[in-house]
Amino acid sequence: MIAYAMNLATLIAINAILAITLNFIMGYAGIFSLAHALFFGVGAYTAAWIAMHVSADFFLTVSGAALLASLLSLALALPALRVREVYFVAASLGLQVLGSTVFAEWKSVTGGIGGVIGIPPAELFGIPLSDPHAFLALALACLTFVIAVTYGLVRSSFGRSLTAIRDSESAAAAYGKNVALIKTLAVVVSSALCAVAGALYAFYLSFINVESFVLDTSILLMAMVIIGGTGTVLGPIIGTVLLLLLPAGLSYLSFLPHTEIGSIQQMIYGLAMVVLMIFRPGGLVGGRSLGERK
Amino acid sequence: MLFLQLLVNGIQVGALYALTAVGFSLIFGSTRIFHVAHGATFTLAGYVFYELYSVAGEPWIAALAAATAGAGIFGVLVDRLVYAPIQRHEGSFFTVFVASFGISIVVQNLVGTAFGRGFVSISSPLSRSVELAPGLYAPPTAAISVLAAVVCFVGLHFFLTRTHIGMALRALSENPDLVRVFGLDPRRLSSYAFALGSLLVVPGALLTGATAGLSPALGNHVMLISLAATIVGGVGSLRGAACGGLLLGLAENLALWHLDPQWSEAVTFVVLFLFIIFRPAGFFGRVATQ
Repeated sequence: MIAYAMNLATLIAINAILAITLNFIMGYAGIFSLAHALFFGVGAYTAAWIAMHVSADFFLTVSGAALLASLLSLALALPALRVREVYFVAASLGLQVLGSTVFAEWKSVTGGIGGVIGIPPAELFGIPLSDPHAFLALALACLTFVIAVTYGLVRSSFGRSLTAIRDSESAAAAYGKNVALIKTLAVVVSSALCAVAGALYAFYLSFINVESFVLDTSILLMAMVIIGGTGTVLGPIIGTVLLLLLPAGLSYLSFLPHTEIGSIQQMIYGLAMVVLMIFRPGGLVGGRSLGERK
Repeated sequence: MLFLQLLVNGIQVGALYALTAVGFSLIFGSTRIFHVAHGATFTLAGYVFYELYSVAGEPWIAALAAATAGAGIFGVLVDRLVYAPIQRHEGSFFTVFVASFGISIVVQNLVGTAFGRGFVSISSPLSRSVELAPGLYAPPTAAISVLAAVVCFVGLHFFLTRTHIGMALRALSENPDLVRVFGLDPRRLSSYAFALGSLLVVPGALLTGATAGLSPALGNHVMLISLAATIVGGVGSLRGAACGGLLLGLAENLALWHLDPQWSEAVTFVVLFLFIIFRPAGFFGRVATQ
């Protein structure tokens, strides 16, 4: 029971990092990305590769993962600078589909559908972290770090520039803000921090395959942010906790067939998205409007 | 010969994509609603036909009528029950998009629970391939797909240019405020747009069911294709969406000439991505990127 709770807590910490970094671009920069699972995947595969071929040192693998993810995120920043709304959603969808195909087909690095197995445990200062308690502590430390960085950025002048761009790009440009630079930086920071979650995930499971990094994951992350509350600090965390406790809670209801739990979970969050958008677009934590104000 | 075969397959798939994309584009152009649940309409129509024709053994014409009615009613209900209340209080692009996305998740899982997550196929003598030339095969459904597309486009053209509702719909996409001033009710017109757009998925849904088969996840693919075709063709242009759909169907199939089938969806998105970066207005587009 304790082991079960710790497993859930570790997964919540990892997913909360993903939701918070997605909220950073969705809620503050107004960049509605459906490609977040892609950067999660890049982080996980890079960390796995470094850990297996170079060194399992946690700081080294995380830096490598974050570096590669931030470089690749420029592919997302490019359409974000050129187009908005429908066009950007479509572009990010395209990137996500393309990315999942590459993950599934680039067998020498990603292992294809079979995935990467036997990732060694992470090492902190030369000591392997194979104990689940220690790993949970590491995941929580990373979560705290990500919350601190994103909260710090949102409260800084950079964050104010971001929200200004979200609310009116032309007004922000007229005030002399470098719109292109600020948007690119937001995407890069979000993807780099997202890769931290990828590295944690790879070390935690010691096995990764493409199924964790497909469009469905991006949609689940989007649901976490929206249900919790876009553009709020607490929202993504609450959304993550709720959506990850949902399957656990459903498995206690013995009258539900076990094979259908995944479907029922998706139906519930799909329905929650519809109902929230009608009655409370800001999500559970947020107010009455979602991200961009009209 | 392989090339010709892929070309024939591409035209068949492209014609059906064109129809579905025009439905999406019609709804998006006249109401500005980003109706991603259009894919859900497609899945529903396909499964209604499958249930009545293949499982219950009803005559095809009855099943077709039921699938058509189902698609139209679903489209209008989504507009009335979900989009209308959202638009009443704010209706920013993201709010509507998220709600629409939620609907498609719910429908996909309901269909999966009811019919299973695997593929089902509507078997009919029309889906059996005939040898047209040595080594070149095509089922009669290929001709029916092209014919259905042509008939629907001609019908739609007359509807939009000759009838009052059609002209009002075009006016709505040009200038909604002027339509209101003119005394027409944009909400009512929006229902017409949804009914009409949703009806256009029916041939695609049935013929896909008869050739490639139906699965609950198909809705996602249809949504991606409609969206891609609308953008490649140019938002607001029905002709563009039709050409975009045809182009994507061809690209997806001709890609098999040199690539493994796993890459065909990726090819679609490379095309889309390049359009968004270099020519966001599409072939026939008139709107700017902002």
